[in-house]
Amino acid sequence: MTDTPARIRAAFAEAGVTGWLHALDIDSGAQLGAGADQLVCTASVHKLCLLVTLHQLAATGALDLAEPVECPPVGRTAGPTGLAAMLDPVRMSVRDVAYLMMAVSDNAAADLLLGRVGLDAVNHTTQRLGLGGTHAVHTFGELFATIRRDAGPGGARALTDPHVITRLRALDPARTNRSTPRDMTRLLGAVWRDEACTPEHGAAIRRILGLQVWPHRMASGFPFDDVHVAGKTGSLPTVRNEVGVVEYPDGGRYAVAVFTRTANTAATLPAADAVIGTAARIAVDALRAP
Amino acid sequence: MDLVRHLECFVAVAEQSHFGRAAAELGIAQPPLSQRIQRLERELGVRLFERTSRQVTITEAGTLLLAEARELLARSEAFMATARRIRDGETGLLRVALLPDLAGETVAAVLADFPRHHAGLELELHELSTAQQLARFASQDLDVGVIHHPCDVTGLELGPVLRRELGVLLPRSAAAAALDEVPLASLSGYDLILFPRSSAPTLYDDLLTTCARNGFTPAAVRHGQGASFVRGLVLSAGAVAFGPYDTQPADVRERSADAGSGVVWRPLAGAPLAWRHSVAWPKGRGDAAVGAFADAATHALRTTAGARAEAAPRPLHLRPASEYWL
Repeated sequence: MTDTPARIRAAFAEAGVTGWLHALDIDSGAQLGAGADQLVCTASVHKLCLLVTLHQLAATGALDLAEPVECPPVGRTAGPTGLAAMLDPVRMSVRDVAYLMMAVSDNAAADLLLGRVGLDAVNHTTQRLGLGGTHAVHTFGELFATIRRDAGPGGARALTDPHVITRLRALDPARTNRSTPRDMTRLLGAVWRDEACTPEHGAAIRRILGLQVWPHRMASGFPFDDVHVAGKTGSLPTVRNEVGVVEYPDGGRYAVAVFTRTANTAATLPAADAVIGTAARIAVDALRAP
Repeated sequence: MDLVRHLECFVAVAEQSHFGRAAAELGIAQPPLSQRIQRLERELGVRLFERTSRQVTITEAGTLLLAEARELLARSEAFMATARRIRDGETGLLRVALLPDLAGETVAAVLADFPRHHAGLELELHELSTAQQLARFASQDLDVGVIHHPCDVTGLELGPVLRRELGVLLPRSAAAAALDEVPLASLSGYDLILFPRSSAPTLYDDLLTTCARNGFTPAAVRHGQGASFVRGLVLSAGAVAFGPYDTQPADVRERSADAGSGVVWRPLAGAPLAWRHSVAWPKGRGDAAVGAFADAATHALRTTAGARAEAAPRPLHLRPASEYWL
């Protein structure tokens, strides 16, 4: 059999991306990686850390997940989905706001919840779980504000200019929300083994992760009706990520974290999205090989 | 007063519009940051920021000074990089790379221009593809080079990105050869000859996507690189190829119908296709020698290859799966 990390790197190169991956068999602890300890920009993948934080706080009684949240239309963080895209006042429970944050990567929902618990609580959670490379330095609104400032007057269109891409602080893991592929599979493993939260809260997190709507990244690598894929994506100019868990009917379950940067600065690159699934599949197939 | 340090503070606060975040970026506490800004304002006799209890906004005067402050910081970084080069004993040698597909005139122009202005600096010149250059930047075996875009620019600094327009090579007998400018869509029915995808997958895909976007989806793509091989396929096999004007031989450039060879070069209508080049070097290592090479190479591309700055970017429709919005 050929060397699995080499096959993963070849798949990334073939799709025109630089990528880093870690895959973990949640029950046996078997693992493999290609750049598993690389510091990467999490982008919206960090919403997973926030979700786990909410459930840990709920378990201690510090937060009521059924409590209603008022979301007025003014001051919402920008985004193309969910509350961020809606026009009128909304009132919904904390956990339903969390659902929107995870299912459609709703930025306004994420910042509403961050407004409740604060970045420090999220960093406290990841620290306590032993995720040494994982740290959040700004809210999603603040993250986009750095991109707006660095992109200059050209706005979103300027983001296809390689020159602009080289100066975005949002793409420098040292200066934005960050993690490593290994940290993220460790977090997912803890959630799936009910070590991050109580079983009741663990089940709620797993349900929400299974409701993510995007089919184009990790899920695309597993075109099988009997295989369950749950995950959270993250995207920024040239950044495409997804971390998730793939479950087979024989009980096999695998946490996979894939982080990539495209060479092309174009926004629409289907092959770069799909290679996240391809790479995850190569890794899971290798972990499942007898 | 340490001017450089104080200007770093000024730029950080201007970029963050927030003392706390600027302090975090600089890795210092907020009180010394505020003190440095006040000290700088006193020294300059200019108020740089308006502070309210909630926010910091840059003043008109601050805006006027910001560009020069950035320039001074860049110069200071280049100065430190030069000092490092001298300390590391590399003072006399600059390792540079040029792409194999540049015209001979472009290479000659770089080589003629650079030493004239930088006597005492020796160029170690390599002919390397973009992928090879990126690998050597990473292993610190290369100081600066001319690369193709798109490529992964992580950890690099770039000179201006220039467009070197591509035209089409087609048989002189083809109907489209009679046109002054050939629309891409009129090439329908021809096969396309292109470099092998593995040598630059992103560039290859980008080129085919742009062709499709402009109405040309070749029936088949044949792989070839050498000028003679490509010419043979164009002459005999119902195929076309793309290339910049500056690397074509005189007989292919020849416009009249009864002169020149059986293969003719024509510009594409609306110039949809181009090689995009820039000078690149590893972040933080842009010293004076690198800067001088960047200027010489950029100048050579403009004058010998007709490379021009990118026109206004095309419309961009971010789709919901992009997850961000500006």
